[in-house]
Parts: sequence; structure tokens; C-alpha cells
Amino acid sequence: MQELQEIIRWIEYIIVNGLPATLLLTALGLGIGLLFGLVLALARVYAPTGIQIMATLYERLFRSIPILVLMFVFAIGLPWVFAFAGVGTNAIFAAVAFSLGLRSSAYQSGIFRSAILSVSPGQLQAARSLGMSEMMANQQIVLPQAFRIAVPAWSNEYAVVIKDTSFALAVGVTEMNKLAFNLYTESPALMMFILVVLTLIYFCFTYPVTKYVGEYMSKRLKRLGLGGG
Amino acid sequence: MKTEVIGKMENQGMIAAVLIVGLVVGLGVGYMLPGLMTAPPEEPTDLLEVIQDRGYMVVGTSSGFYPFEMVNTTTDELYGFDIDLAEYVATELGVTIQWQDMDFGALVGACAAGTIDMIAAATFITPERNEQLLPSVWYLRANMVIVVKNDSVLTVSSYDDLDGLDVGVQTGTAEDFELLDHNDGGGTIDIQEYPYLDQMFLDLNNGLLDAVYVDEPVLGQYDQIYDIKIVYTVLAPPMAFYIAYDNPDFFEAVNNAMAKAFETGYIDELILEYFT
Repeated sequence: MQELQEIIRWIEYIIVNGLPATLLLTALGLGIGLLFGLVLALARVYAPTGIQIMATLYERLFRSIPILVLMFVFAIGLPWVFAFAGVGTNAIFAAVAFSLGLRSSAYQSGIFRSAILSVSPGQLQAARSLGMSEMMANQQIVLPQAFRIAVPAWSNEYAVVIKDTSFALAVGVTEMNKLAFNLYTESPALMMFILVVLTLIYFCFTYPVTKYVGEYMSKRLKRLGLGGG
Repeated sequence: MKTEVIGKMENQGMIAAVLIVGLVVGLGVGYMLPGLMTAPPEEPTDLLEVIQDRGYMVVGTSSGFYPFEMVNTTTDELYGFDIDLAEYVATELGVTIQWQDMDFGALVGACAAGTIDMIAAATFITPERNEQLLPSVWYLRANMVIVVKNDSVLTVSSYDDLDGLDVGVQTGTAEDFELLDHNDGGGTIDIQEYPYLDQMFLDLNNGLLDAVYVDEPVLGQYDQIYDIKIVYTVLAPPMAFYIAYDNPDFFEAVNNAMAKAFETGYIDELILEYFT
């Protein structure tokens, strides 16, 4: 069928040309977010008050800046900061990955902090009563449980970041959303169908991950007795 | 019983992990900190030398604008009047082009900041843009037209006839500024700004807009799809390439290349190719 061939052409065009960029941006954004977010979460739970306040301010700040504004500031307004990657496409790509990472780190610090705080205080008491020091009890007993609790929420963050990458089309990164725009600029009458195809592609990359990691992990946590027991 | 001896294997792992994370974060911050602390470097050399050392020129455009910059989705390449002309200029300068396809409204800011070296996006010469960027020799002149659906009874002899109506424009274009100036002078047009033209024409077709104010060349594509007619025509400011100020060698090189394009008849070739 003519229509089916056309749809297959769209899917091929969007995936072959745009998927590597989208996945790379998601990975970099999540990675930077994980790094900064972990440090911030540990700071907010265990650090002295001064550092706690700074970490809280950072989180409040980057939760309230829209991701598009962040991308404009770094990709369009500060080109020399990212020029180490190569002026032009690479610099813009690095800037977009960095701004995604900054926003994601603010949310991830919340995820890890709430996971650490949700480990039952009985665990810490039991560890201390066995003679462990505060630091050892936290390292050996609380944090391992906290990370396992955080995994379903973290898969939610993945779903958010992969869709945030679509903002990059405004600053000049060629990713899946931009390619869909190219397609329907060529044939404006088919815009709705192209957007449905794009939605299905994003769905295929979001739903299996959140379902597997989210539901499966939650069931496993319940079986192990973690997560608020 | 002392269980806190650091020499134990379990503790070593945790401390090592903390050290590694700290090291990576410190390395990253240390790498970027000098870049963030220094002001934008004063370019002692002209942009022309920088580009020729680099080997490629970063040119910004905003695709989807018929027939100046479009994307061929079979080969995933940009093509169009501006694309060909910019490639000609780059060949004259002895460099290749790296295209950055972004929102039209972001182009001026990007060129002023140095993210891109030149704008090639059918940009009209306007006083507001000239405050921030330097236009090259102009290469083409088109019309700005107000377009309505074929069954509309609207007639327009001046912007006052649009007062109170929903008019669509593309964000950051000369038409956008024209209508904003009219509103500053007491007009009451309901200006709807769109980053992309397809959405705007779709809304015109669905009746969400009463009229749109665009450049005439795009109608070559859109009047094949929608039933529309022109109710007002005015000559637009001419189009040029925009570059940043304080780069006299680059400015001269670009203008020489454009002059050569006119002399050798390349511009006429392009007009024949894209406008007939």
C-alpha cells in the first residue's frame, strides 16, 4: 500500500537520523543529573547546615527555571564555555546536554533524598545498637536500601528527560522532533499523522523502560520487605 | 570491639567510591571553571582568520521557509536559495559550512553571541537588527503580503483595517515588528506569534486566525495546499546575510563573494531555479 510505505519511510527517516542524538542527549543528561543529584542529596541529608542550605537553594533554583530558558542561556548565550568540544554543532550539543543535566540533577536530588529518608529509622537504631558507628551504619545499611527504593522513581526521571530532549530543536540540535517537523513542512496536510507516528516512537522508548523498571522493581522491593516496611 | 578500623575491605569500597565521585566532579568543575570565570575572549584576530583556521563556517538558518531553506527528507539535506548562495560564499572564502537549523527568533541572539558566524535565513534588513548585527550586501527583494482564506470578505488598505482581528505572524520577522509598531502607535490588532509557518497556515485554514502576514515567496508552497488569496501587498525590505560587528576582514570577504555572485550571473541562475 502506498500509505504504509510512506509511514515506513517516515519512521525510518526519524529513527535513523534522530535516534542516536536523542539517546545520547538522554544518557548525558541523566548521567550529569545522577552525578550532581547524588552529591546534592547526600549533602542535604548528612552535611552541616550551611551546605544543606546551599544544596536546597540550588534545587529550588533549577526546579523553577524552564528548560527552554536554560538551553537558550547555555547554547545561544554562552558559546565560549562549551567551545572546547568544537565550535558549532558540538558546542551546542554539549550545552544542551549540560542544561538537561542541570535540570535533572535538581529533581534527582529530591528523589534520592526522599529515598534515603524513607528507610525506616528502626534500621538505623538496630545498626547502632549492634555497635556500628553512625557513618558505618549509614554506608552499610541505610544507603543500599535507599538506592533500591529510588530505582522506580529514577525510571520516571528517565521518561521525563527523554521527552525534554525535544526542546533542543529550538537551538539547532537535530533530534527526532526536529526531523518530524522537517517531514510535515514538506507535506503540511499530513501533519497530524506524522505527529502520531512521532508519539508512537517516543512511546516505544518510554513505556517498556518505565514498566519494566517501575513495576517489576516495585514488586521486587515489596517481596524483599523494603520501601516503608 | 572496634568495628571502625578503616583498613577493613567493606569501608575501603565506600571511601573509594566517594573519592572517585568527588574527583570526577572536581575535574569537571576545574575544567569548566576557567571557561566560566574569564570574560568572553577579546578576539585579537578577525573572524575571517578564525574561520579559515578552523576550516568551516558555522551558518545559522531556520528551515521550512519556501523556497529559501528547506529540508529534503529523502536525503536529509538542506536545499534552497539561501543554502546555495551561502555555499557559494563559503567556497569563495575557502571553507566548508556547518549548518545550524534553529528557531528563527533565536538566530539574531546566536549571531551576536558568537555561537554562529553568519545568518542565512531570508532575513530582511531592519533598523532593530542593524543595532546588533551588520548586514551584508543585499541580494533579493520580495513582497510582504496579507493573506486570507479565499471565501473571506476582508479588504485591507492599511493596518487600521486589521484592528480587532486575529492576525498571525512568524516570531521575530519583519512583519511581526511592523504590526507591533502599529500597536505601539495605538492600534489594537490581536497579534498571534508562531515559531513555524505550517501551524500558522493550519490555524488560518481552521478559522482560528482572520489573516496572516507573511513574505510572498512562501505562498509558492502554501497556495497549492490551502485555498487562500492575497488582499494587501507591500514591498519588503531587502534580504541580506547578517554577521557580527567588528570583523572588517570578514565583512569585506563576504561582500566580495556576493559581488562576484552578482557579476557572474549566479544570482540570476538561482532566481530562475527557485522562483519559476
